[in-house]
Amino acid sequence: MHKDKTILLVEDSPADEALTLRALKKANIMSEVVVARDGAEALDYLFGGEAGEVRRKLPELILLDLKLPKLDGHEVLKRIRADERTHLLPVVVLTTSVEDEDRLESYRVGANSYVRKPVNFTEFSQAVLQLGLYWLVLNEQPPQSHV
Amino acid sequence: MTPPVLIVDDSMTVRMSLSDLLKDAGLDSVTCSTVAEARQALGENTFALVILDVLLPDGNGVDLLREIRAMPQATATTVMMLSTESEVRDRIRGLTTGADDYVGKPYDPTYLVGRARELVRRGVGEASPGKEAVLLIDDSVTFREELKEALEQAGYSVFVAGSGEEGLRIAADVRPSGIVVDGILPGIDGATFIRRIRLDAALRGSPCFLLTGSEDKSAELSALDAGADAFAVKEENIGIILARISAMLRSAGSQTGREATTSLQGPKKVLAVDDSETYLQQLAESLDSEGYEVILARSGEEALEMLAVQQVDCVLLDLVMKGIDGRETCRRLKLVPILRDIPVIMLTAVDDRETMIQSLGAGADDYIAKSSEFDLVRARVMAQIRRKQFEDEHRTVREQLLRAEFEAQKARTALEAAEARGALAEELQFKNEELESFSYSVAHDLRAPLRSIDGFSLALLEDCGDKLDDDGRRYLKYVRDSAQEMARLIDDLLALSRVTRGDLKRGETHVSSLARSIVSRLERGHPDREVDVIVADGIVADCDDRLLTIVLENLIGNAWKFTGKRRDARIEVGMMEDDPRTYFVRDNGAGFDMSYASKLFGIFQRLHSAADFEGTGIGLVTVQRIIRRHGGRIWAQGQVGHGATFYFTLESGPDGGMLPRAQEATLTQRTRDVAA
Repeated sequence: MHKDKTILLVEDSPADEALTLRALKKANIMSEVVVARDGAEALDYLFGGEAGEVRRKLPELILLDLKLPKLDGHEVLKRIRADERTHLLPVVVLTTSVEDEDRLESYRVGANSYVRKPVNFTEFSQAVLQLGLYWLVLNEQPPQSHV
Repeated sequence: MTPPVLIVDDSMTVRMSLSDLLKDAGLDSVTCSTVAEARQALGENTFALVILDVLLPDGNGVDLLREIRAMPQATATTVMMLSTESEVRDRIRGLTTGADDYVGKPYDPTYLVGRARELVRRGVGEASPGKEAVLLIDDSVTFREELKEALEQAGYSVFVAGSGEEGLRIAADVRPSGIVVDGILPGIDGATFIRRIRLDAALRGSPCFLLTGSEDKSAELSALDAGADAFAVKEENIGIILARISAMLRSAGSQTGREATTSLQGPKKVLAVDDSETYLQQLAESLDSEGYEVILARSGEEALEMLAVQQVDCVLLDLVMKGIDGRETCRRLKLVPILRDIPVIMLTAVDDRETMIQSLGAGADDYIAKSSEFDLVRARVMAQIRRKQFEDEHRTVREQLLRAEFEAQKARTALEAAEARGALAEELQFKNEELESFSYSVAHDLRAPLRSIDGFSLALLEDCGDKLDDDGRRYLKYVRDSAQEMARLIDDLLALSRVTRGDLKRGETHVSSLARSIVSRLERGHPDREVDVIVADGIVADCDDRLLTIVLENLIGNAWKFTGKRRDARIEVGMMEDDPRTYFVRDNGAGFDMSYASKLFGIFQRLHSAADFEGTGIGLVTVQRIIRRHGGRIWAQGQVGHGATFYFTLESGPDGGMLPRAQEATLTQRTRDVAA
């Protein structure tokens, strides 16, 4: 399912990365998953590093953790929204935090969704399955020329 | 504008003479001859001063004084009693009734007007004159008028005097900003005048300008020697003289502190105490001529009684008297703090060493032989009064310095306290921020590994389950249960810490609808449960709705949980009938043992086993913190197997935080039931 689509997972914890990948597999989402282990790596992936070239094929969905080394999630999201080539990309904040401040700030800087990672893996799998279904299947992307 | 003076006297001569004198001194007056007239005048007008005769055709001045003191609009009016009754008794009677001063008849006009001015000034407070006042003293009317006109055109208000003596009286009265005095005058000359001004603490700040004749070099020298600030030769152009006077006044600047000191030249009171009537009369005459008001006392007792009601400037005390003698009178007088500073001059019959030592030993400030000339007595009196004035002035200055130092110290202390408070607030702010970031870290960093434990335990079960036996799979289940239990604990602890952070935002909160929405959430989450929930209508509270939601979630959630084993589960949310500020959540669930009631609100405290009812033991602690933040109180009643009721208030009030008496009784009753 969705083999032609790409997900950018921004996650610094290898354990959480493994769990998310497993949950995606369990949910039968076969999309390519690119993993960035900090905020800077995520931006490098999107904007091609030094040259500032935007990647020709952008991911269909970004799963973004908030607590990241170097640049944190909010900062990454701000930069994504600031660049007109990426400002319409769907970004889902996937985090441990339920602090009001974090939620508010995420939406303020342009998150499309905010999902808390449950401790219970069964629930976590459910959440990932629904995320994949919604953003990769149900949701209609904006026309290409505007992305 | 100073209010007028009311003169109440039955003698027309006295009335007219006083009225004229006051008019010359710049005071308007109203005259009355009877108590009835005075009463009417007092009802219609405000007076700066009332001069009151004691014997009046239709009554007594002392009675009228008593009436005045009882009038709400006239309690502050200054009253001077005037009477031929010169007996000390009468004086005391007048003064104790509330007279501010008492002057004996026949009065000395200058003294009386001087006192009147002083009393008026004290009463209304000296309004700072719009113009600077200059006192001009010259015996030549022509020159005086010419210079007066020039000064007035230059914007000064001018007072004139024809002699040094008159000048001193006016100076004491008006406290001029500057004095212009001719070197050659009848009576005391210009130099002597200036010297006297310089000796008077109240006046010595006034700059003095000396006028001299061109031929009179010695007068100029002696005047400058006496302390004149500037001088001019009278023959010079009046414009030049005016310019010099203005320059002197400008450089003198404003005088401060002068008002506080009573002038040496002003009217003075002397108390003479002697049992010899003859000597007393002689003494009084001699001092009267110098412008003193002399009060005569015939014994030490009388003198002390007199001093209890009226301060004087100097006491002349005979050493040998019947009753308590001069030494004892002096000793007693010096024991009283407010009288201690009055100079006492002992009068002794003989001028020997022994007597002198005795007198001074008793505390007298000076002594003088009765045989001496009255001139000498006058000079000694003057010297003592001057000494006292200097002492008063020094004391005032010292007090001002002390007060200034005290104020400065107070300011420093306040500043230090403010700084300390600031530092504390900063420290608190820092600690709060630290706590916040700690809580944040706990939220993330403790949960993330738990997710791994749970996730990988499940992965192990699913992917490698075939390599595990039943025990292995059971152990992995325990691992997962524990991880999830710990996650719940962390969430509850975070909720608890959030409760104490942030501002309390009070507002009208609809408790009933909040409770209903919590109940319907619970019903949706547990479709298998059937619970009879009764929520009273229209409960409204003034509180933070976000925090109250947490309270109700916990209390209703607990009720829901602890009725889980009953078929006829019932939950009630309402407010007390006898006190609408007390709310309650009641259930008929598992209840609790009242002997553990005190432990209900302890952190991690659970009264039920996890097997019976799950829970972290943090919920009620959170509830209690919220209630406390609102200034309210929470308490509970329960019985094992018969349910529990949680009561709470949300405001501190006279009994907001108290356990209602009826409740207390029930509580004790229940405890006993449980114990039995």
